[in-house]
Amino acid sequence: MDVEQNIKNLVIARLEVLSENIGISIGSLGNFSKEELICHVRNGDEVGQKIIEVEMDFLRGLKQGNFYGKENPSGDAA
Amino acid sequence: MVKKTLLATRPNFELTTKYISSWASKALEYAQEKEVVIFDLEKEKANRLTLETTLQEYSPEFVFLNGHGDYDKVCGQDNECLISANNNENILSGRTVYALSCRSAEILGKTAVAKGALAYIGYTEDFIFLYDEQQKQSPLQDKIAQLFLGPSNQVVLSLINGLSAQEASQNSKEHFLANVKKTLTSEAPKEQKGIVRYLLWDRHHQACWEKKQ
Repeated sequence: MDVEQNIKNLVIARLEVLSENIGISIGSLGNFSKEELICHVRNGDEVGQKIIEVEMDFLRGLKQGNFYGKENPSGDAA
Repeated sequence: MVKKTLLATRPNFELTTKYISSWASKALEYAQEKEVVIFDLEKEKANRLTLETTLQEYSPEFVFLNGHGDYDKVCGQDNECLISANNNENILSGRTVYALSCRSAEILGKTAVAKGALAYIGYTEDFIFLYDEQQKQSPLQDKIAQLFLGPSNQVVLSLINGLSAQEASQNSKEHFLANVKKTLTSEAPKEQKGIVRYLLWDRHHQACWEKKQ
């Protein structure tokens, strides 16, 4: 099994943990039920890729040991 | 004593805008209690002309934008573009802004500060929130959405209480973190299972840009 499929399986396993009544709003991408999200991840479309990105962001944070500390640097823009 | 002034845009035309506008009303209630003068551009009033006119006429110090967005813009009712980068972001000059909107901190936030905004707090990526399908008709009763939109409101509450933009953002992030911890305890209801990664996503992507002194 290739890496991409492994990642999809991991993300789907995490989504299956969500309660059946949960919906998710992803900005202008729309609102989705748990089952719809699982389909999007399987299809690997834009919504699916976004959910995969969230999961990978979370796992990278865990790996780097900055579960609580990692955040976007705030600062001067001008 | 000079009263603080706040302008809010609250489009409401589908589920996401219904949720964020409902929860924004909680922040406005708090502002009202603190005798802040509020300009509430709700639903159809969340349009570009009314926004620009109100900003020009009343010059509110705080601007609370709710709505869909992208890297370079924030939208209002029916996704009308209200403010976009390299277009009309100068209307935010001299003001402190919080945008509960996807991605807009990445480009618009930076150009707004470059063109005179005192600070811009927003999200560099999509703002994601979870909700209870059974509470869709009454967003303010939704305990799942509260885990996301409560910390978001902390930005506004903190600014009203006199904290700096950086402090307000930090305070909001601490509330996200408190909810992360809450959902990880064994007493957390089963509905909260698996949502930690989304809370951390929003926390991670909240950014605060300030004008150099």
